[in-house]
Amino acid sequence: MDDPTQATRGSRTAPVIEPGYTFATITDKISSIVLTRPVSNGWLVGFGVGFLITMMLLYAMGYLFLRGVGIWGVNIPVGWGFAIVNFVWWIGIGHAGTLISAILLLLRQQWRNSINRFAEAMTLFAVACAGMFPVLHLGRPWLAYWLFPYPNSMNYWPQFRSPLVWDVFAVSTYFTISLVFWFIGLIPDLATLRDRAENKWAAIIYGILAMGWRGSARHWKRYETAYLLLAGLATPLVLSVHTVVSFDFAIAILPGWHTTIFPPYFVAGAIYSGFAMVLMLAIPIRKFYGLEDFITQRHLENSAKVMLATGLIVAYGYAMEAFMNWYGGNPYDNYLLWNRLHGPYAPIYCALLFCNIVFPQVLWFRKWRTNPGLLFLVSFVVLVGMWLERFIIVVVSLHRDFQTSSWGMYYPTKWDWMTYIGTLGFFMAAFFLFIRILPMISIFEMRTLLPEAKEVKAE
Amino acid sequence: MSPARVNIDLLAPPVAHTIQRRSLYIGLVFAVLSVIGIFISPPEQFLHSYLLGYMAWLGLTLGCMAILMLQYLTGGKWGLVIRRILEAAMQTLPLMMVLFVPLAVGVHHLYDWARPEKVAADKHLREITRDFLNPTGFGLRSIIYLVIWGGLIYLLSRWSAQQDDPPVRDFSPRYKRLSAPGLILYVFAISFGAIDWVMSLDARWISTIYPLIFVAGQVLAAFCFVVVVEAILSRYSPMAQLLKPDELKDHGNMMLTFIMLWAYFSFSQLLIIWAGNLPEEIRWYVRRWVGGWQYLGLGLAAFHFAVPFVLLLSRERKRQVHRLVRVAILIIIMRFVDLFWFIEPSNHTRLLVHWLDLVIPVAMGGFWLAYFFYNLKARPLLPVYDPQTASLLEPAHE
Repeated sequence: MDDPTQATRGSRTAPVIEPGYTFATITDKISSIVLTRPVSNGWLVGFGVGFLITMMLLYAMGYLFLRGVGIWGVNIPVGWGFAIVNFVWWIGIGHAGTLISAILLLLRQQWRNSINRFAEAMTLFAVACAGMFPVLHLGRPWLAYWLFPYPNSMNYWPQFRSPLVWDVFAVSTYFTISLVFWFIGLIPDLATLRDRAENKWAAIIYGILAMGWRGSARHWKRYETAYLLLAGLATPLVLSVHTVVSFDFAIAILPGWHTTIFPPYFVAGAIYSGFAMVLMLAIPIRKFYGLEDFITQRHLENSAKVMLATGLIVAYGYAMEAFMNWYGGNPYDNYLLWNRLHGPYAPIYCALLFCNIVFPQVLWFRKWRTNPGLLFLVSFVVLVGMWLERFIIVVVSLHRDFQTSSWGMYYPTKWDWMTYIGTLGFFMAAFFLFIRILPMISIFEMRTLLPEAKEVKAE
Repeated sequence: MSPARVNIDLLAPPVAHTIQRRSLYIGLVFAVLSVIGIFISPPEQFLHSYLLGYMAWLGLTLGCMAILMLQYLTGGKWGLVIRRILEAAMQTLPLMMVLFVPLAVGVHHLYDWARPEKVAADKHLREITRDFLNPTGFGLRSIIYLVIWGGLIYLLSRWSAQQDDPPVRDFSPRYKRLSAPGLILYVFAISFGAIDWVMSLDARWISTIYPLIFVAGQVLAAFCFVVVVEAILSRYSPMAQLLKPDELKDHGNMMLTFIMLWAYFSFSQLLIIWAGNLPEEIRWYVRRWVGGWQYLGLGLAAFHFAVPFVLLLSRERKRQVHRLVRVAILIIIMRFVDLFWFIEPSNHTRLLVHWLDLVIPVAMGGFWLAYFFYNLKARPLLPVYDPQTASLLEPAHE
């Protein structure tokens, strides 16, 4: 395999780790962010803002519990408003973590090593944000456990033909496996932090979390096996979760929901938005923490390529759906297409096409693909576009269905917005905490990228 | 090692010539039988069987082209040793262009939308034939698809031929630049090709994932075909030295991936249509769930997915060509059954294997294979002047 500190052939591609590092300097550089560097003002501001917005979320939730879902804009015909839009959006974002950590591991893509840790953390926080929405939407969220099949005296059992029940299993499995995978991957690094911590309490807490890791050959062997097995387990989940989410819609017979391309198109869209979020986090982090040597141009470029490819699959989905609506000759399908293009929500549909299909085409050009500022902008636009896509799917399909007499409009209320923005704040606060208390780049996996690691292996 | 010497050593073994000749004879004999079939069978049957054979062999041609472009785009050592096989297979496209002519001529016997009496009786058919599905549009679009693939194959082949001469030149940026848009063009063209040629057998039925089942199927069939050719060639020099277990394992993993992808697409389509249960959609499955067709459907689930899936999980099987090739042959047969299950129920309500369903595909296959081995013989089995080749010739570090 190529030496990762070297630029690859043609020398136009950046290395995955800049030259000049040793085992010790890598460990120093990453662990110092957690252990020795003082808390910066920037971190305090970032975390503070996230925390305040989280408080707003709690306020919105409290009021929701008090008054019920009537405070939201949902009504008949649009019974699924922001809650489901945000659920699908967050779940989609959560896909990049597992894709990077599991699938790219199995595909032997070494460049994943410096972004997998924080991508996995991002996944966990995103899935946590996503998980809130269906529960909040239940109306009686304190009865959420009814979704699980458990023996009870109420003669009550979930409807297993409903994809909403499949969702419960898909999302909870995904969260569990992602959490275990992330934690297992952290163990060797937690031990490193335990050994280096100067603060007694930090040493004790990291020590407990490291679960007695001593780095013996036997530990490593078992660790590698466990990690590979978990990667194998997590891989189908990348496909299955968003497939099940797409079934929530496609199983119904509503035009705009009932179309067979939904599963792969949802999965591609999920990875699309997930990588956009990875880039939106990676670009500022590498700048503020001086990690350009670890998260190099190569990472940005590869992520941009993944976005370009998945964005094109999404475009294929739009094209095929629009074509079949026309070709199939069903008047309701035809109307859906017309309504998207000319109905009251037409500007949103046009914005969606621009954000998801037109603008990201700048990524075809290497010059722009390797420009962090532009990449940040593209990622932001894609995240907006993917949110609009879910809005179009949920709201525009519902607001004008088969009977003209039941048509209506959907207007989100301030509570809808507060809940949505609140989860953004929660995500932000959680992420700031993460980069402060855990190594955001995998220390030991970065060490394996060095040429020294290869020499040891060869011997 | 001088380049000239390398070239001689790397040429395909004489067995390629033998297979080429025999394939040609088989093709000729079965072509005669097929021609007899024109006169003694209904034209509908002849054309359905013809479409079946055409889609099967076109799938190999295009699947190999897609793999080649995928490999250029993503890199990886697994592609170098099979590059010539992929190229020889995709260069059979001129044959497929010629073989398209009977479909264009026989369009009135194959598709309801091309029969005036059927069109007159159906409002949707009247609309769709006016705007899209009419013999002229069908012919023109088919020409566009074939020209798109022809252009891609022409460029890929021409650059590859240039690379057969010294000095060592790195063409990978050039290949990459073509392959990215090339794959998009391939997917769009085969998507609409699948709609025009196969899905429109029932012009009132739609499924948006349907074209992707063809894409996954073509690439899967192509990978299996590559493994079969590897199995034949690996008994002789030079493939015996070139084919390493690690690369073979990658080919096996690709087979596994595309089996899963095919199953994923097929199952998604089934589940969504079954759950929706709309009369205009479920028809397609109802037709394939009565009269014996259901056994083929279940057979597909078992032998196009479950059995090869389990077999391909074994790491050892993927490293041994004589074991992997059995799975590959099974999947190639099941690919044919899958196409049969897609195409023939529109002609027969009860399961019926007409003799032409076997004779015409074998005839086409004879010519296709003869052409393939002719292409394969013409050039060294390795791109000698590709800078990556040196890494393949090194002994494995194991």
